[in-house]
Amino acid sequence: MRWQRWAIPASGVPVLVFLAWGLTQDPHTIPSPLPGKPAPDFALQTLTGDSLRLDDLKGQVVLVNFWASWCLACRAEHPVMIEAAKRYRDQGLRIVGVVYEDSRDNARAWIAERGGDWPNVLDVGSHTAIKYGLFGVPETFFIGRDGRILFKQIGPVDQDVIDRWVPKLLAAGSVAPAAPADTFAEGRSAGHVRASPEFPTARGAGPK
Amino acid sequence: MLSRSFVTATLAWLCIAATAAAAQTRPDSAIIPKDPAFEEKVREVASSLRCPVCQNNSIEESPSLLAQDMKREIRQRLAAGDSPDAVRQYFISRYGEWVLTKPRAAGANLSVWLLPIVALLGGAVVVWSAVRRWVRQGDAARVPAVAQSSAVAPAVPDDAADLRSRRARLQAGLQELEAEFAAGRLAARDLAILKERDETDLARVNEALKRLKKDAPEAGRPRSERPSPDGPRSVWLARLGWGVGLAAFALILVVSLRGAVAARTEGGTITGTQVTGGAAPLDMELQKTGPLDSLRIARLEAQIRGDSTNVPALIELGHLYLAQGLLDKSILVDTIAIRLQPDAPSSAEAFAHLGMILWSLGQTDGALKSLDKAVFLRPELPEALMYRGIIYFAGVQDMRAAAEAFDQYLAVAPPDANTGRIRAMRDAARQAAAGS
Repeated sequence: MRWQRWAIPASGVPVLVFLAWGLTQDPHTIPSPLPGKPAPDFALQTLTGDSLRLDDLKGQVVLVNFWASWCLACRAEHPVMIEAAKRYRDQGLRIVGVVYEDSRDNARAWIAERGGDWPNVLDVGSHTAIKYGLFGVPETFFIGRDGRILFKQIGPVDQDVIDRWVPKLLAAGSVAPAAPADTFAEGRSAGHVRASPEFPTARGAGPK
Repeated sequence: MLSRSFVTATLAWLCIAATAAAAQTRPDSAIIPKDPAFEEKVREVASSLRCPVCQNNSIEESPSLLAQDMKREIRQRLAAGDSPDAVRQYFISRYGEWVLTKPRAAGANLSVWLLPIVALLGGAVVVWSAVRRWVRQGDAARVPAVAQSSAVAPAVPDDAADLRSRRARLQAGLQELEAEFAAGRLAARDLAILKERDETDLARVNEALKRLKKDAPEAGRPRSERPSPDGPRSVWLARLGWGVGLAAFALILVVSLRGAVAARTEGGTITGTQVTGGAAPLDMELQKTGPLDSLRIARLEAQIRGDSTNVPALIELGHLYLAQGLLDKSILVDTIAIRLQPDAPSSAEAFAHLGMILWSLGQTDGALKSLDKAVFLRPELPEALMYRGIIYFAGVQDMRAAAEAFDQYLAVAPPDANTGRIRAMRDAARQAAAGS
């Protein structure tokens, strides 16, 4: 019978299409459910011994930057953060460093060597890191004045990422960002941030 | 690209460091009393969650610090009265469904559960129809032999003219069947049955004719036999379809899984570099690397597991890791090689690798020191000379030293893809040195 000769090879076509799609995906791109949601609050001690509560910074644009002194990529990233602090401080940008899996002494020495005058808090036991769904360091969360996470950078931020997101956040005033939370929450499993052209993830956005 | 290798390096370092740190238990895990049922519950939840650092392990299996912290989080939440599902839900809300080691049977995930059933049913249909065809063929072969023997008379060779006219009738009938089918007056199933019958008859007639011809060669006219008119073409098309499909499949495998084609290494992942390793070569071309490198790497890794003091293997591995952008692994094996033979000329390459890595991380001074040591051990090591020149040129901006280093490089290095670029840099360095 004629159709049977075709049916078996033809049934391979969907498999091929599926493989072609699946094998060309970047397995490093892991969807995060957090962009669009309110930034989880934390109250931690800074390296200088003060206490800092994230919710106290509500109304301001905040970069929450997870880092560690043993992290090579954080070294590469640090000058960018310093530059961002310099450039956008007057417009109301706040940076909060969260020290991940590290000791107070190491973190202090690291900051003393490399500079940076924003507060850094010590996340003992990674409670906050888990709250933020951290995969590793560095990761940076861009938080708007309404306290929502607009964007999550996995890996080191570069000037490009800063210049793309910070002015947008600063310009948003105290109004919620244009994209509703659903933009991120809906869709396959947990909202592929990459799927939204307006809010690309680090890898979609970074200069190649 | 480099940023991904940074992250990879970070992750891998965490995994390595964690193995050592795993022995130390944190004090607050002792606060909660050890109740076997409770511990079992913790274990159950921990094995159902994926470790974000060592991504192919569950939190229960992973030695990373983050996994230990996550396990403590699970413990605390369960102790506070949360149900295992509520704890899982908390981690899903932070990491997404990705964090589950076993995806939930809902939404698109359902395909994982349904596809095997669909495949099984599809297979059953194929087998069923194949069996039906065989049964029919068996019937067709038997029935005419008994019921239609008189009609065809295969045993009694009639005269040739009779057989030929019979053959012509059958051939015409077959063509008519095709025409009927093409016109839509005949079902495909009926066509198959009738065609099968007539073709069997035709074969018998041909057989009888052939026999007749053999007995009396002058009686039969030579005439080539042909099976059904559309047969060869559709068979050919089907073969072509199979061929194209297989070729496409092979192509996808080769292109997509190049990084994964390697033996699983100790502590490695089942997907090889497909998931955990990114290729991020340094800005200058190293020796060309090909898809076979991952095999070579697996081999060297096996050798080193057998003999951890095998310096040549360590150094070659350092080079391959570096070329693949696995900076962290390169650092590890290079450091071991250097520690084993700090002053041997063979360690020069390890120093050169470390120098390149340090330079790519922006550590100019450390990079120069490492490369100087490499050149001290082996004055004619091309990559050390080249990178020294690059660092003097772009990092320290000592143009005189840069030009000198590039000259040394060009004197010893065989011409390759970098030669032109280095020569251009040497000329630029000379000019700048003369100008200042």
